[in-house]
Amino acid sequence: MSTEEKSAAPRSLAEALRVRDDVSLAALLRSRPDLITPVPTDLTQLATRAGTRASVVRALERLDRFALQTAEALAVAPDPASYGELLALMGGDEEDPAVAAALPRAVALLREQALVWGADDRLRLVRTARELLAPSPQHPSPTGLGPSVREATAGMSPGRIQEILGAVGLPSTHDSVSAVSALGALFADRRRMAALLAELPEESREVLARLVWGPPYGQVTHDPAPHLRALLDRGLLLPTAPGTVVLPREVALHLRAGRAHRAPEPVPPPVEAAATHRPQVVDATAAGQALAALATVEELLKEWDEGGPAVLRAGGLSVRDLKRTAVALDVPEPVAAFWVELAYGAGLIASDGEADERYAATPAYDEWRELPPAERWAHLAGTWLTATRTPGVVGGRDAKDRTLSALGPNLDRSAAPEVRHRVLALLAGLPEGASPVEASVLARLRWERPLRGPQREQRETGTGDARDDDLRSRIARWTLSEAELLGVTGRGALAAPGRALIGAPEAPRPAAETEPRGPGDKLPVHHHRTPPAATAPTPAERAAATATAARLLAPLFPEPLDHVLLQADLTAVAPGPLERELADVLGVLADVESKGGATVYRFTPGSVRRALDAGQSAADLHAFLARHSRTPVPQPLTYLIDDVARRHGRLRVGAASAYVRCDDDATLDEILADKRAAALGLRRLAPTVLAAQADPAALLEGLRAIGFAPAAESAAGDVLIARADSRRTPPRAAPEPVPDGPPAPDDTLLAAAIRAVRAGDLASTTPRKPSPGGGEGDGGSGAPGGSLPRTGAAETLATMQAAVLTGEALWIGYVNAEGAASQRVIAPIRVEGGFVTAYDHTADEVRTYPLHRITGVAELADDAG
Amino acid sequence: MNGPLIVQSDKTLLLEVDHEQAADCRRAIAPFAELERAPEHIHTYRVTPLGLWNARAAGHDAEQVVDALVEYSRYPVPHALLVDIAETMDRYGRLTLSKHPAHGLVLTTTDRPVLEEVLKSKRIAPLVGARIDPDTVAVHPSERGQIKQTLLKLGWPAEDLAGYVDGEAHPIDLAEDGWALRPYQKQAVENFWHGGSGVVVLPCGAGKTLVGAGAMAQARSTTLILVTNTVSARQWKHELVKRTSLTEDEIGEYSGTRKEIRPVTIATYQVLTTRRKGVYPHLELFDSRDWGLIVYDEVHLLPAPVFKFTADLQARRRLGLTATLVREDGRESDVFSLIGPKRFDAPWKEIEAQGYIAPADCVEVRVNLTDSERLAYATAEAEEKYRFCATTDTKRKVTEAIVRRFAGQQILVIGQYIDQLDELGEHLGAPVIKGETSNAQREKLFESFRQGEISVLVVSKVANFSIDLPEATVAIQVSGTFGSRQEEAQRLGRVLRPKADGHQAHFYSVVARDTLDQDFAAHRQRFLAEQGYAYRIMDADEVLADGG
Repeated sequence: MSTEEKSAAPRSLAEALRVRDDVSLAALLRSRPDLITPVPTDLTQLATRAGTRASVVRALERLDRFALQTAEALAVAPDPASYGELLALMGGDEEDPAVAAALPRAVALLREQALVWGADDRLRLVRTARELLAPSPQHPSPTGLGPSVREATAGMSPGRIQEILGAVGLPSTHDSVSAVSALGALFADRRRMAALLAELPEESREVLARLVWGPPYGQVTHDPAPHLRALLDRGLLLPTAPGTVVLPREVALHLRAGRAHRAPEPVPPPVEAAATHRPQVVDATAAGQALAALATVEELLKEWDEGGPAVLRAGGLSVRDLKRTAVALDVPEPVAAFWVELAYGAGLIASDGEADERYAATPAYDEWRELPPAERWAHLAGTWLTATRTPGVVGGRDAKDRTLSALGPNLDRSAAPEVRHRVLALLAGLPEGASPVEASVLARLRWERPLRGPQREQRETGTGDARDDDLRSRIARWTLSEAELLGVTGRGALAAPGRALIGAPEAPRPAAETEPRGPGDKLPVHHHRTPPAATAPTPAERAAATATAARLLAPLFPEPLDHVLLQADLTAVAPGPLERELADVLGVLADVESKGGATVYRFTPGSVRRALDAGQSAADLHAFLARHSRTPVPQPLTYLIDDVARRHGRLRVGAASAYVRCDDDATLDEILADKRAAALGLRRLAPTVLAAQADPAALLEGLRAIGFAPAAESAAGDVLIARADSRRTPPRAAPEPVPDGPPAPDDTLLAAAIRAVRAGDLASTTPRKPSPGGGEGDGGSGAPGGSLPRTGAAETLATMQAAVLTGEALWIGYVNAEGAASQRVIAPIRVEGGFVTAYDHTADEVRTYPLHRITGVAELADDAG
Repeated sequence: MNGPLIVQSDKTLLLEVDHEQAADCRRAIAPFAELERAPEHIHTYRVTPLGLWNARAAGHDAEQVVDALVEYSRYPVPHALLVDIAETMDRYGRLTLSKHPAHGLVLTTTDRPVLEEVLKSKRIAPLVGARIDPDTVAVHPSERGQIKQTLLKLGWPAEDLAGYVDGEAHPIDLAEDGWALRPYQKQAVENFWHGGSGVVVLPCGAGKTLVGAGAMAQARSTTLILVTNTVSARQWKHELVKRTSLTEDEIGEYSGTRKEIRPVTIATYQVLTTRRKGVYPHLELFDSRDWGLIVYDEVHLLPAPVFKFTADLQARRRLGLTATLVREDGRESDVFSLIGPKRFDAPWKEIEAQGYIAPADCVEVRVNLTDSERLAYATAEAEEKYRFCATTDTKRKVTEAIVRRFAGQQILVIGQYIDQLDELGEHLGAPVIKGETSNAQREKLFESFRQGEISVLVVSKVANFSIDLPEATVAIQVSGTFGSRQEEAQRLGRVLRPKADGHQAHFYSVVARDTLDQDFAAHRQRFLAEQGYAYRIMDADEVLADGG
């Protein structure tokens, strides 16, 4: 695998990348997919992109706590730092074997992520990461360390520095730079420093102790007390602003015994098992719950079958409709929101898109209903696992203080699928049948993604409630409860179908293995080690996983029954799931009173009438009950059906558009007999009344045409025809998950991308061999005084960025908006968002240039500077 | 996984009675689940917080409850339900009421935040005194009932360890000459005594008075018995003299007419709740002796003021007796918190199977209104509607037909409306007992009915409770108090006393079809239907054809 060149240490990230092999580049691109959208032209561009702020922030956010701590330590270490220096910062003076064991992995991970480059003797954190993580007064470092002596003394008068040197007993020197480094060396020297601190009064040491773990800043009055004065005199506290002092990094590190972190966390906290149940119990409970989940979704859809609730103008379900749904499903509102969102996410319900917009079942629902139960479940569970919509936030408020409604906008949380998958994977890591301690799952997730979690302060030991309130922890908690509702877990433990769903192996892996790997500058492959989101399964894998889940679930479902128990108190009990046809008829004929493993139905006059309305006759109902009852049908039930049937249909209701009334029967006979009246749709309701399908105006017209002289009656009830069909939306696609950033690239894409980058890289580097290498990433061609410099876009950008660092002036070719070309000498100050802000020596002012208008760039010859 | 029990997500438990493990399962779930319905095939139990707390009070823990469910359940028990049960049961006993040697009655906690939470409640604040230490707060002894009731409503039931006073001792023994307490009565007395206080639920005619007598013989102390009316008071007295070592002189009657206070005193609710100038003058009865036991007959009728008095009596043993714990006012939970949890409950059909109550044939007869009656009914004022349909003329004809059919048997005709009853009495040639009938007259009529001198008696709702008519075999209900379920149960109880010749009792309910009467009847019958009494429904024409 290794094709690295031992000859020369890489001098830039681009060079470091260049020597990496394809596998290791693929690992980088897989874990940071934003780097190949679009595919960069060459490795220089790749390195530049990997150094942009947005990309680095994203990469840092995906680090686990220990890798992040390592990066934070590198940010406060000298640049470059050796592996030994880093280890000392992480492990402290008294070595921590756990840290020593885990550090190679963390360094390797950072290298793979292109956050760190360079050999072990010269480890460099990429500049943007260093800026993000290094302490500054605005952004205190998570390490709690302050600026180094050199940084803190930057603005100090040489005389003051001399005084400090004198106070600590160092020989005075007029060179400020060597004075500062002598002071830094003293502070870093454990032995001499101990002696220096021993001289101090007790109160002074207490002040240091208060600042040592950060925040390192303190307030002093204009006239400090003697014990503070002693610290200031010796430079153990350095002033940063009037009234503010800071504890220099070297001093803090001495007091911390060299440790950059108070509590390095090299080992992920284990997920603890709360209880262990027999796997059969877990599977059976989960299957029971899975069945209940199907029943609930079907009940919801039945509830909405004849036109669901209206869509709010801003989208979503009103609070009242959610409440109503919750009552109908007999669940709390958050749970109702979960079911509604689940059905929506699975594409079973959608807005019908009509003028008076309402929710209704989609055609997909009818297809779904035809599937076997286990597949129906797998569809729901698969949807749930990958959905970015999070029902848990329903009822909360968004940034603009609008209530988030179920089915409404702004429910997508891009972290949700990854957290769900990860939580289930953690459960899968427990022994079979074990349910987790929720807090330990949350702790583990926080360890894996500390930056996505709550702001980590030095209050790890404090009360833990507030810090569980970040989005990832909340999603994790919702995941645990939703998994239970869905039957992915049973009694808290992952059931076999749930395990299959996430494609987890049958046998649980040990939780915290550490891969022993040397600290050498090898580029390890990290396929299963990279954060799980990066290895998210492809759609095909996911489909296979859900199919396996369905196959495992199917035998766990109880066989549907073909009978019920009828009782004289007008109830029927189905002691298990019923065959669909039976359940459908019974659902119309009786009201469901209680759900669960069994179903209790109650017959009421209303429910029997409903069955009769649905076209059943009393005889049908008697036969149906006799067929499906194991015991004789109770007399009160038989009587009830007959009694309702006796009255059913005695009153008739129909719709007519108009009527004709006449006291003389014969006239009406005459109209009915007239062929010309056929178009009016007349029907005799009573001897003196005809109903018409034609509207009153047409009727009047028609009767007049035949030769009558009818008079219109005042408007007395035009009957509205109510539609009672099942409502379906037009075909609707289920909402797509909205992932955070570009999708994880598959191997084919990666390979292609790498080939393209390498080709581009070759093209851009080969011809420039003869030109003398300037600074980092500089392959500049062209010379001042000639034609416009021409360089590739990536190279232009890299040169600009390098110049921002070094403060050098550059010679650029520039084409303005009118197309006029010019040459300018500029000193770039900032490069971002496709613009370079620079001091223009030619115009003698600060200007901003769009990068795409810069034709090329070249460094100035030394004499020109 | 083929148990007799199905656990539903709404916390009801369905027990398949024909299953071979049904009896074991019933025993296992009885301590914490309320029997809600007992029709022929599947009995329904309900798990309520109250039931779970009562189980805790009786020494069961969550583990046992969960085990019972998991053991007998046919399908996996929803995890959420198990968690909920454990959490609910865990709430019990965080707070305890006990006697402190220095501070008297105190409320202590094992979980300080719970105490803080309840003390913040506005309803608790006036009931407690000084904070003794962070975990203890003083409670005024007279608020013992009130605070228990309020804590229960807040969901943090207090365990009452303050105990009972023994009261003034008075020897009472059962005089078991030629009879003995039935097994279930013994069990009821035992459960009650073991639990300290509580309610015993037995069907009408199953001998609740004897459970009271048994409890008195256990307590062997002065006893206050609260009953619904004077007739009932006399019957209690009669029964106690007959069944125990008590003599007439030891039993006092405290009613509108007599104010005797004796070692055993029987008082009516009516006299206790008589109010003059804003005060209850007869309230001192509760303090007039050091009562060791208080028996509440027909506890489902306990009037609201008596609840208040009862709250002050928490240190005395309390026994509630009833046939149906259904209260139309929904104050069942007050009965539980103030008198005590249900200590014994037996399904009616089970007692019937043991032969202690007569099997009954319940029939609903539907009569049709005539066309003119239908029109009149449709136009009647809303408040007059029920009266109108309940007293329709056709009912009289049907009633006469039923009376004719059972000629020679002891028949009760029961109704709500005096006019209707008077008219029926006239047509049937039977005496009518109503509110205005004097007690002497009532007892005379009852006695001659008992002796078989008269075979048909027409009674109004005054006879709803606690009258002992041993040989009534047929009851015909022509109208009732709207949809009162417990009234229906009481009336059925009139005919359930076991018959000398063991034959079946008949209960007829005459109902006007397609009217409010029919709706109310359906509601009234619900309790009995749930107890397994299936009503046959007949058309009036069939009855008239039979009888004619």
